[in-house]
Amino acid sequence: MEKAFWEFDMSNVRVLVLAGYGLNCDHETAYAFELAGACASRVHINSLVDGSISLEDFQIMVFTGGFSWGDDHGAGVIQAVRMKTNLGDKIHKFVEKGNLVLGICNGFQTLVNLGLLPGFEGNYKTRSVALTFNDCGNFQDQWVFLKANPESPCVFTRDFDRIELPVRHGEGKFYSDRSTIKHLVDNNQIALQYAMPDGRFANCEFPFNPNGSVDDIAGICDSTGRIFGLMPHPEAFNHWTNHPDWTRNKEKMKRRRGSVDSGLTDGIRMFQNAVDFICSK
Amino acid sequence: MPYRLEIALKSALFDAEGESIRKKALNYFGIELAQVRTIHVVTIDADLSAEQLKKIQTEIFTNPVTQISSFDPLPIEFDWSIWVGYKPGVKDNPGSTAVEAIEDILGIKPAKDEAVYTSKRYCLKGADITIEDANKIAGELLANDIVQQWKIFLKKDWNPAKGIGLIIPKVKLDHNPGVATISIDSDSALMKVSDKRNLALNPNDVPAIRAYFLDKEILAERAIVGLSDPTDIELEYISQARSDHCNHNTFNGLFHYLNLATGRQQVVDNLFKTCIESPTLKLKEEKPWVVSVLWDNAGVARFDNDHYYVITGETHNSPSNMEAYGGAITGIVGIYRDPMGTGKGAKLVMGGYGFCVGNRDYNGNLMPHLHPRRLLDGVIEGVRDGGNKSGIPTTFGHVVFNHGYMGKSLVFVTAIGIMPSAINGEPAEQKNIFPEDLIVMCGGRVGKDGIHGVTAASETFSEHTPAGHVQIGDPYTQKKMHDFLLEARDEGLIQFITDNGGGGLSSSVGETARFSNGCEVQLEKVPLKYEGLDQWEIWISESQERMTVAVSPEHLERFLELSESHAVESTVIGRYTDSGKLHITYNGKTCAYINMDFLTSGFPQWEFDALWQPPDRRGLFEPVLKEPKNYKGLLLDLLSRPNICSREWISRQYDHEVQGTSVIKPLVGADRDVNSDAAVIRPLLGSEKGLAFAQALLPAYSAIDAFHMTGCTIDEAVRRLIAVGANLEHIGGVDNFCWPDIAWHPKDNPDGKFKAAQLVRSCRALHEICSSYGIPLLSGKDSMYIDGHLAGKYGEIHKVSALETLQFSTISVIDDITKCVTMDGKIPGDPVYILGATRNELGGSEYYEHFGYTGLNVPKVMPDQFIPVYRGLACAIKKELVASAHGIYRGGLGLHLAMVAMGGNLGMNVDLSLVPVDQVDRNDVILFSESAGRFIVTINPENKREFEKIFKGLPCACIGNLTEESDFAINGIENKIISSVPVRELKAAWKKPFGNLI
Repeated sequence: MEKAFWEFDMSNVRVLVLAGYGLNCDHETAYAFELAGACASRVHINSLVDGSISLEDFQIMVFTGGFSWGDDHGAGVIQAVRMKTNLGDKIHKFVEKGNLVLGICNGFQTLVNLGLLPGFEGNYKTRSVALTFNDCGNFQDQWVFLKANPESPCVFTRDFDRIELPVRHGEGKFYSDRSTIKHLVDNNQIALQYAMPDGRFANCEFPFNPNGSVDDIAGICDSTGRIFGLMPHPEAFNHWTNHPDWTRNKEKMKRRRGSVDSGLTDGIRMFQNAVDFICSK
Repeated sequence: MPYRLEIALKSALFDAEGESIRKKALNYFGIELAQVRTIHVVTIDADLSAEQLKKIQTEIFTNPVTQISSFDPLPIEFDWSIWVGYKPGVKDNPGSTAVEAIEDILGIKPAKDEAVYTSKRYCLKGADITIEDANKIAGELLANDIVQQWKIFLKKDWNPAKGIGLIIPKVKLDHNPGVATISIDSDSALMKVSDKRNLALNPNDVPAIRAYFLDKEILAERAIVGLSDPTDIELEYISQARSDHCNHNTFNGLFHYLNLATGRQQVVDNLFKTCIESPTLKLKEEKPWVVSVLWDNAGVARFDNDHYYVITGETHNSPSNMEAYGGAITGIVGIYRDPMGTGKGAKLVMGGYGFCVGNRDYNGNLMPHLHPRRLLDGVIEGVRDGGNKSGIPTTFGHVVFNHGYMGKSLVFVTAIGIMPSAINGEPAEQKNIFPEDLIVMCGGRVGKDGIHGVTAASETFSEHTPAGHVQIGDPYTQKKMHDFLLEARDEGLIQFITDNGGGGLSSSVGETARFSNGCEVQLEKVPLKYEGLDQWEIWISESQERMTVAVSPEHLERFLELSESHAVESTVIGRYTDSGKLHITYNGKTCAYINMDFLTSGFPQWEFDALWQPPDRRGLFEPVLKEPKNYKGLLLDLLSRPNICSREWISRQYDHEVQGTSVIKPLVGADRDVNSDAAVIRPLLGSEKGLAFAQALLPAYSAIDAFHMTGCTIDEAVRRLIAVGANLEHIGGVDNFCWPDIAWHPKDNPDGKFKAAQLVRSCRALHEICSSYGIPLLSGKDSMYIDGHLAGKYGEIHKVSALETLQFSTISVIDDITKCVTMDGKIPGDPVYILGATRNELGGSEYYEHFGYTGLNVPKVMPDQFIPVYRGLACAIKKELVASAHGIYRGGLGLHLAMVAMGGNLGMNVDLSLVPVDQVDRNDVILFSESAGRFIVTINPENKREFEKIFKGLPCACIGNLTEESDFAINGIENKIISSVPVRELKAAWKKPFGNLI
């Protein structure tokens, strides 16, 4: 049973998971944060806008996946307009306080339209990167191999090297001009890139890079590493049976008399990093 | 004053949409285009200042990184430019969200007649494009003339300042709404009205309708409320409620069945009652997990102590044949409202699809409204957008190509939801309405869309089918409503809930009012999309994304408050009463007043003659066919057949993992590219219990006998669940019948009596097999009239009827998802077992079809022999003895062994002489017979003894093993290798037909 946020023990890490207006990954994202030890509340966008729930009560804000406003006029565009118009200052204050912001899929699209990403050197208002239509011309649901950047300040990808997650989107091609990309590279803000099964970069090869993203970019953070957006869905890897190879892995492990790892999945570890960061603040 | 903003990707960016159009023009029509660029057009019909316009241009409609935009036409080069926009009154979803964003950013409310319209302009480059080409691309690729309009501009005629002009598709109904009274002097006069108004009244119903309105007591009662002859709204109400789609007159009919071989005559009174209702009620007694069936929008069964799952399925055929995308998206979004309207409301957790279409590369002379390839593309995209944007995983589906579906293609959609077993301590599956409860309409507004959808679905498709019944579903509006209704449910605010589907308010209010025995509706309160609708149109409009909710007066305030906070429109449109009357007023004046019990009494039962001639007496026989020599070539060719080959491109564009519940995905194996037997999800994230779901469709066997078609379809759907780890003790079914017209007519339907006999036989098989397997029918629907009339080469018109078709869906609860298995071979050296006997049953097989034969020996289901095998496999999986399990389905053993090898990317050696058979002595029969009841299983060699012990005395044999080699090698019964093919090559052949589609 989900709790209302005021029922939580306030010593816990408190996570606000946006919901409503066509968002659709709020339940599993809240669940993933709970597995990682946080207290997560699903909050309707309108409850934040009308002030019945305040951002100040939270330390992590999540822009979840889905189709906000049906993805009309560009994925995440209208959500960004609504958030900027009604909550722009509050979100900026939330970030200034050293809190974390995560955008997954439609949430990532919203963060770049809000200008919270790439957030070069504290500029959280400029739209300088975009997520546009997949080169393959269609929505794609598949698991991808990802490579994390060990030099990145990104809080969420700490201690990750390679990770597998599902992508499910039609507008996930990361695009920007060369100088912006260079800036991202120089700052180590490119936290996650599409890769081959052996860990080499996908080098724009479909389907390993599922959307044609420039430089295989799957996720970026701001200069501080506290705002992170990614197209893949870590919350959809919340149980080891989510992995497409789980029946194969289980059988192989059984032959070696081992048991399949049923601890926290790589997906949940990403949320755990965020919770640990807040706890150690 | 209106403004037109044009938006396009910067020229350096790849235009994926344009590129896909370029490819389709080449693939569909052979027209070579050099380039296509897409321009999005936003037409703002509102008074805004230059400053406001600038603000919305930069902050909403233009991405500074990727796009350019201008209030003047964009100077993008073209040889031809084609503008495509919606016709007036067609739902323009992006137009509505644009208004929301403008309201937000400018802090204004648009005036009543202000609106935003979206459209597109395509810039085509290509030196040799003719006007005919441009027309073809516009009319057959970019636009559908039912919902869209277009304009074509040649480069030299283009006015760069004026562009496309200002096109405002505003609905202007130059019409004063009113209620008409219809005179019913004679039966034939009423029939004439029915034809003229598209009421589709059955001639047999007409006397009953007249008798009611001519009854003296009724006349006296009506006089008090100011009515005499029936009004148009009353006749429309009766027509909706009596339509075959709503009332299932065919299944409730009286069948006179004669078997010509035996001379035996039987009368079957009501197929629904005898073959569906009574066996299901009997099983409900035996199976405590069956919670609520046969009355609500979906069936309800137990998931765990605290939760129920709900399931239902239906078709959306007629609209999808008119407008593939719109019909299919409306279908999937529509079926998702059924679980929302089951009990006090369920959360959607999974969806499925089934498409039956003509051959994708058809190049004959028949001219269907949409070519099968284009129709299939549209249908796939419709289910994609409807499912993905609803946030519901589409986990399972299938496609069947057959010429018979040229006349009418089929679009099946299935929905599964979950709900707590109790809401505030009250049983969640129960609901009731009391007098004084308010009638609340939630969700979208009402327009002219969908009018006469239900009656059109009950008629054979023809060029005169009114186009008005096509609509475009809006998953975004519905998702908001879904989230809102679940919160309202949990707060205990919902007394009763049902969806507005076929028949609109007429059905939803008309049917729910039976619970309290009456209602009063104030039609003027119904929110409209635009003015000018007649009262009868408001009453029966099928505008989508609406639910009808009964709310008790003390909960109204909170209900409306919650609705507003979710940005969902909810309106009280009347109240329930116990007056015994359906009473509709408009601004205080009565426009309908009908006894609640009128529709359930006094109508004659439909009657059908059913003549059965067994297949051998119809001239069917086994072909004279000597065994082939080149098995390698045969295997490769069979794997490339459209009904066998990979359709990965469809599964990949469906989000099958949203909600984070995925356990067994539609595609599995080492390369994640081979079809799984069934889908499994973990609907409650905190629990390791699962729901397994599968579907089957085997229309080919109907060419021999629909009885065995039905048996085999059910058996396949059952085996699919067993193969992933389900338990035979808990399997629920959903039957979706799609049948050609069974009413005999000497000229129009000369074989109607035979098709009626096929229906009777199919229902008998449904009864027999479901009873044997213990499958309660949790839900089901029928869609008759899968016939079409198509023009041929010389202007002649052909009636094309599809094969008798049944989609059967199965669902089961998995106690421990971590014990599920997938079909891919896992580890080299693992022994390969066959469970179940192979018989000489090539009739209707893929193998025979490959050579153009039908045959006679159709596969038969023998539950007594199969059930012990199914129990054994379930037990072996539960004991974790099984590494992979896969049913043997269409195409037979040969193809499905190949699938297991392809799934694991492993070699395989098998010896056909070891396959358990029943009087079979030919390699081709063993390889391609489609006998039911069989599985392929691979296991850890260490488990051999324990595994074989389970199947002692049953048809079970080890026929070979998985290998590290590259080949799939088959040793024939004469003990020599008859085929050896690299698995890589098999997979390439299997992927070849549709492999380049994305």
